[in-house]
Formats: sequence, C-alpha cells, structure tokens
Amino acid sequence: MRTTSMVTPLPIPKKPKISSFITQSEIQSEFSHHDPAVARINNGSFGCCPASIIEAQQIWQLKFLRQPDHFYVNELKKGILRSRTIIKDLVHAEHVDEISIVDNATTAAAIVLQQTAWAFKEGKFEKGDVAVMLHYAYGSVKKSIEAYVSRSGGKVIEVQLPFPVNSNDEIISEFRRALERGKADGKRVRLAVIDHITSMPCVVIPVKELVQICREEGVDQVFVDAAHGIGCTDVNMKEIGADFYTSNLHKWLFCPPSIAFLYCRKSAKSSDLHHPVVSHEYGNGLAVESAWIGTRDYSAQLVVPSVLEFVNNRFEGGIEGIKKRNHDTVVEMGEMLAKAWETHLGSPPYMCASMIMVGLPACLGINSESDTMKLRAHFRENFGVEVPLYYRAPKDGEVGSVTGYARISHQVYNKVNDYDKFRDAVSQLVGNRFTCTLLSK
Amino acid sequence: MRTTSMVTPLPIPKKPKISSFITQSEIQSEFSHHDPAVARINNGSFGCCPASIIEAQQIWQLKFLRQPDHFYVNELKKGILRSRTIIKDLVHAEHVDEISIVDNATTAAAIVLQQTAWAFKEGKFEKGDVAVMLHYAYGSVKKSIEAYVSRSGGKVIEVQLPFPVNSNDEIISEFRRALERGKADGKRVRLAVIDHITSMPCVVIPVKELVQICREEGVDQVFVDAAHGIGCTDVNMKEIGADFYTSNLHKWLFCPPSIAFLYCRKSAKSSDLHHPVVSHEYGNGLAVESAWIGTRDYSAQLVVPSVLEFVNNRFEGGIEGIKKRNHDTVVEMGEMLAKAWETHLGSPPYMCASMIMVGLPACLGINSESDTMKLRAHFRENFGVEVPLYYRAPKDGEVGSVTGYARISHQVYNKVNDYDKFRDAVSQLLRSTYGNLLINDSDGFLWLLRGFASFDGFITMNSQILEITAERFLIIALLI
Repeated sequence: MRTTSMVTPLPIPKKPKISSFITQSEIQSEFSHHDPAVARINNGSFGCCPASIIEAQQIWQLKFLRQPDHFYVNELKKGILRSRTIIKDLVHAEHVDEISIVDNATTAAAIVLQQTAWAFKEGKFEKGDVAVMLHYAYGSVKKSIEAYVSRSGGKVIEVQLPFPVNSNDEIISEFRRALERGKADGKRVRLAVIDHITSMPCVVIPVKELVQICREEGVDQVFVDAAHGIGCTDVNMKEIGADFYTSNLHKWLFCPPSIAFLYCRKSAKSSDLHHPVVSHEYGNGLAVESAWIGTRDYSAQLVVPSVLEFVNNRFEGGIEGIKKRNHDTVVEMGEMLAKAWETHLGSPPYMCASMIMVGLPACLGINSESDTMKLRAHFRENFGVEVPLYYRAPKDGEVGSVTGYARISHQVYNKVNDYDKFRDAVSQLVGNRFTCTLLSK
Repeated sequence: MRTTSMVTPLPIPKKPKISSFITQSEIQSEFSHHDPAVARINNGSFGCCPASIIEAQQIWQLKFLRQPDHFYVNELKKGILRSRTIIKDLVHAEHVDEISIVDNATTAAAIVLQQTAWAFKEGKFEKGDVAVMLHYAYGSVKKSIEAYVSRSGGKVIEVQLPFPVNSNDEIISEFRRALERGKADGKRVRLAVIDHITSMPCVVIPVKELVQICREEGVDQVFVDAAHGIGCTDVNMKEIGADFYTSNLHKWLFCPPSIAFLYCRKSAKSSDLHHPVVSHEYGNGLAVESAWIGTRDYSAQLVVPSVLEFVNNRFEGGIEGIKKRNHDTVVEMGEMLAKAWETHLGSPPYMCASMIMVGLPACLGINSESDTMKLRAHFRENFGVEVPLYYRAPKDGEVGSVTGYARISHQVYNKVNDYDKFRDAVSQLLRSTYGNLLINDSDGFLWLLRGFASFDGFITMNSQILEITAERFLIIALLI
C-alpha cells in the first residue's frame, strides 16, 4: 500500500488570464489585511506580504504539519534549493553555492561577524586590527560588531557621513578618510561593513565605488548590508564585487516574515562561515547548514517561486517595473511634502531608491531622538499615519535648522492619499503651534 | 482620529461548555490535517499542533501583518513575556528572568556552547579543560560541541551508555567513570551536557542524580538538553538543579513549529549568555535579546497561553493527565509489539516517558544504520507507517541478537490501530520463505527485500523493484 510520497506540486496562486496586469482594486484586495485606517508609508521597516503569498505560505505550513517526516526527507531540501536558485539568478551570482537563505540581515551579520571573531581568536587577525563601519550602520549591526569584533580585540572605526547629503563624492571621501585612520599604526583593515541603503537616515550608498576602494586599499573582506536591497535597488553581485552581501526578501520582495539571503563569494581567500545554530549539517557548507537549523517553520523560505511568479505575471515590468514606479512616486511625494512644509529632501533623488527623507518643519521643535519617538507615536495614534522619524542634531552655529526628517516609503499598495494624510497631519500640528514639548514624558 | 491602538484581546479557541472534556472524535477533528493514511507513531521527532492552535497562531500572524509597527511597539514584548511567565510556572523556575524563549533546543545548545567558547578564548578556561556529554547525545548537539568546544581547545569526553539498559544505576556508574576521566591530568570539567531523554536510543536519564554528582565532583556548569521534556516527563527546575535547561514546546506541548525555552539559573557563578543573532537588545539579558532577533514570525512563541488553555480545559488532568495516559499507553503498545515479535523493550517502563524502544525481529537482518534508514523509508512508503528505527551494533560474542529497535511514540491523536498497523507490517515482512535478500537497484541503492513467496511475488511487492536492470534479475535468480 503506497502512501503519499509523490512530489507535491508547487503551490501556485490563482492564475489570471494572460497579459492582464493587476488592477488597483486587485492590489487593494491583495493587501486588504492591512489596517485601512492607517496611512502605511513605512514599508521600509517591516515590508509587506500579499494575500496570495500568505495563502501559498499556509499551503507549505500545512504540508509540513500533515506528515513532517515525509516533508523533511522529500520536500524541504528541494524547496530551499529551488528558492536559492531563483535568488542566485535574481542577484547575478555565479553559483548557487554562493547563496544561503537565513532569517534576516541581522542573522547574516552574525554569521559574517562570528567568522571574524574566530579569526581573531585563532590568530589569523591581530589584536587591534580594524573593522570599518558607517556611522549610520543599523543599530543591530553596530551591536553585533561590538559583540563579535570589539569583544575579540578588534578596533572599530566609524565612517562619519554628512546628512543631509548632496552627492556620492561626500560619502566616498569620508570613506577614504576612515580607511586611512584604520591603516594607521601598521594595523590591517580586516573587514569593511557597508550599508547598501542606510536605514536612518536613509541614503543609497555608492557601494560599488566603496568596494573598489576597499580592494585598492587592501581591506581583507567587504560585507555589504543591504537589508534594504532586493526589490528596492539594483542588486548585482558581479557589479558590486563584495565578499559578502545580504538582503531581506520580506522588506521589498513581498515574502512573508522572514527570509533573507546571504551571498558569499567563492574566492581564493577562504572564508569559513558557519551558521551559529549548529546542526548535524555542520561542515557541509553554509547554505546546507542554514537550510536545517533544527525543527522550525521554513515556509517563508519556500514561497520564493510563488512570489516571483506573482511579481512577473501581475506587474508590468516585473520587479524592475515595481522598483522604478516606487522610486518615481516616492520622489514625487517627497517633493510634494517638502514643498508643502517649505523644507527640503535629505538627499538628491538619485541617492534614493523607494524611500526618501523629507525635512519636517523646524517649528515642530524636534530636539532629541526621544522627541522623534514620541512624535512618531503621536502620528500613529492620533492621525493614523505610520512613518519613522529621524533626529538630526544641529551643527555648531546652525540656527533654526531642520532637525527632524521623515522617512517615507512607497510600495505598490500605497496611494497618494497616504501622503496627503501625512502632509495634512503635519500642517495641522504647525497650524496649532504644536511643539514636541507638549508630548507627555 | 484614533487608530486601532487598543490592546488586542488574546486569541482564544472556541470555548466548549464547562467540564466537557474533549471526545475522541473531537481529537481526530483537531488533528484532521494529519495524513490519514499514515500510522503516525513518531510524535517524538517533530511533534504536533492541533487545529485550534494553528488557528490561534494565524490570528497572531495576521495581527503583525495588519500593522507591524504598532504590533512591534505595543504587542510583541507583552506577548512574549506572557508566554515566558506561563512557562516559568510550568517548570517551577524561581523568576521569569530565568526563562528565555528561543526557536528550538538546537538554538539553546548554541547559546550555551558559544558562552563556553568565549570562556576558553578569554582565558577563563584552559586548553584541555573538559566537556562531558553522553554518547547518545543528539547529533546536532554533538556537532555544536565540536564547533564551539573542540574548536576552542576544549576536550570532549563521551559517557558510554549501555543499550538495552536495565536500570538507572547502569547510567549513573558510567557517568561517574566519565567524570573521573575528565578530571585526570589535573584538568577541570567545565561543562556537562546531559540529555533528559535521549533521542536515539530513547531512554529517560536520571538527570537529578547526575546533576547532583556533577555538583559533588566540582563540574562548573551543567546543561540539560530536554528537547523531549516539557509535556513528556516531569520538568522541575528546582528539583533537577541544573544551570541550564532547554526543552522544545512544539514536540510534546502542542505548540506550532517552533518554540523552546532555555532556563538559566540565577546564581553566583556568572553566566554571560547571549543570543548569537545580535540585535539592538544586546546586553539587556538573554530573555530580552531572544525576544527580538530581527524581523521574524514570532507567532509560535505567542500562542503559549492558548495552548495551556486548550490543554487545561479540554483534557482531563491537563498536561499531567496527558503525560500519564501517553506513558501508560505507549508502554502497553510496546509490550504488545514485543510480544507479537517475540523481542523485548529497550529499557524498563520506568525509564520511558511517552516513547519506548521495541526490538525488531533479528531475522530482518538490520546490519547498519543505513539499513535502518532504508527500512524506515520502506515502512513509510509501502506500509503507511512512520516510525524511527535505531541500529544497535552487536557486542563481541553476540550471535543472533536484536540489532534493530523501533522508537514508538504515543500522543493524544494516536489510536491502537496505529500500532496494530506497525505490528502487521513487520509480521508481513517476516512471512517469507527466502530469508534475507539485499539487492542493488539501478542506482546502486541497496534494498532489503522480504516477504515474497515467489519470484512473481517479489516483483509485485514493490513497483520500484521493476526498475532493476536485467543484470540484477540474474543475481536474484541465482540467490533464490
């Protein structure tokens, strides 16, 4: 008596008639689980997942629950490999071995940095050797560098970046300066951690140029943190040339929480990366190790084929089309807000992808990071606007400058009304002579 | 204009009328998503999750997707703390700070062992200091010990355990012997990793006694790996007295994949544990670090209140009642099988919880771990029985001994028919006049072929055999 051991077909969302792109009303339907009372202009923080993909994910979840042993033996590895292969093609990697799937960029950072810690411990690196990171690196990555590099005796140098920023050159020259500081006293720069798109404040970094400089200056390894990357900006491993590159697929590529890829260039310089959660697959290569880190729900990692099908079938221009429309619209909305509030953008449009920084009126009196958090909660709870805010301390001599910026995102579910709602909320606060001192402690 | 920022009520499965325990038919309904064609007597490997809890989980998932920023700021930490508090009470920990929630025991092991690696690196431990583990420790834990302890210069000593095993004393004396080996040459035993219930072969270890011995012998830290623990055997932190203790909640406590707790005793001996995936919460204590390791689906960690409500409302005696009934039934089923196959159990019933090892008939000719994997696949694909098998190499001098054991589990969804199905499958394999045949198929895959009464019979038994090349047919013909 045979039981169900045949290969289960790939879950596919409902297929529309050929060449019928998704309509605005269908998009709203795909995202009808979003809170309709909220102008959700913060796709950057947690991303989004269409209903079709949630459905595909639940099919995978039930498949595991139905007969987990059969699933583990016959389905899981194949499914992960299929996802990795699609990602490899998307990011122009040479070989699927270079692509591992992990939970998120935070996990990828831990993988790269743990390797650095071992290198110090095992004498490959010397005490005082340097890791360079951007001052605007994501908080979790900064802590990870402290936990693995500083703790191991490595020295950390931060690249000071200007904000607002006016051109790539400003970033490139600061980066060179930081590398020089790193190489002082005869030390080696062992690792450069470079954001592809910084989180706060949000700026697209000229990573290709910075990686090139790292090669020229003899930096051992370059790790690009592109938490905001795939589905948002151009992600081409050959072009960028980094040793390690990570990006979340749940932010801008419609996957459910959570899934990211970690690219590790096959190269002469051996890199002995391991997933910190060690399973019986230890030693079989990072991709294989990461595909089994104990019993867990791997469904978010298995829906990648469904997502690509959804994006390519339903959206004109597929992912490229979405990226372009997101960029054009977020710039347009940013300029609309900056004009309405008489402020400015945090960077030129070419240094943005699908997010942009817009100055808030100085009269709101944003004087600390704490103010931005309270003001943000105020917008969320009293205006139905979800938007992250950034505090930019005034420089010496500056008077009445813009000290608060909003990072607005645009994704396919956003409407012009979302940004109008934000514009009007700020205008209402300004009209009422609101300042942050009015917010409760 | 206010948006939805009120505290969202806890998702509660449909509430039955008071004092109405779940019926057999309601249980089958809760687990109707299980493959009905499979006798699923392997709850130990991946656990199970009732439909009510899947539903509760999906409510949490949608809550996050609906407005993730609001969820992160207002719901997540509270929800995790609520789960931790429930677990603290369940396991009799002193303080909720001692309870961290992680993905699974594999992750918990990495957390404990990474701390050990730092201790070597930072000079707290010396090269050659010892970690002791059981020979039957889980494969992933062994690799983790290699990756963190051996790689750091630590020496690893394995406690050889007998199997079949007859009493706790056999385990205790081997453990003492291993500790003595560890303390030889003036080295310190820095860590003992002790399974509460070994995976394969499956035996309940006398952890309380072993922890006590560790204290007497000056072992620095004791880590109990109870992947099989909560919902399966008695899990009492005060009683057991370990420094670290981990158990999966998705195995025997009906949670969806995946969730485990890691208990870390608050004590004088400082233990600087960190989650290896470092977030901005680094330094705020392991429990807080573990509650945020980047954007992820935390829903499996948030359904613990719903699970406890389900278990306590619907099952007589709550979790204790389930544990007892699972134990009694799996022992009964094990004895039934051992009698039918004329073999024996791998340990006395008191050394079992809700799983038991049953010897398979020697004439099946299980001669390697590879044989057990193929035979297991054979049971899965051709008999609709899901059961893990263990290869026990014969000792010197042993002839015709039992070399294969099945680890059968019992959980609330199992029926007597599941075990009858397994009994009959084995009996069917035994009914053969041609003895044991091992043949290669066209991919060189070695098949254990039993139970055919004629040349035609063996062809129809397994359609995959039809793919064997002509050359193989010749070999078979010669063997017959």
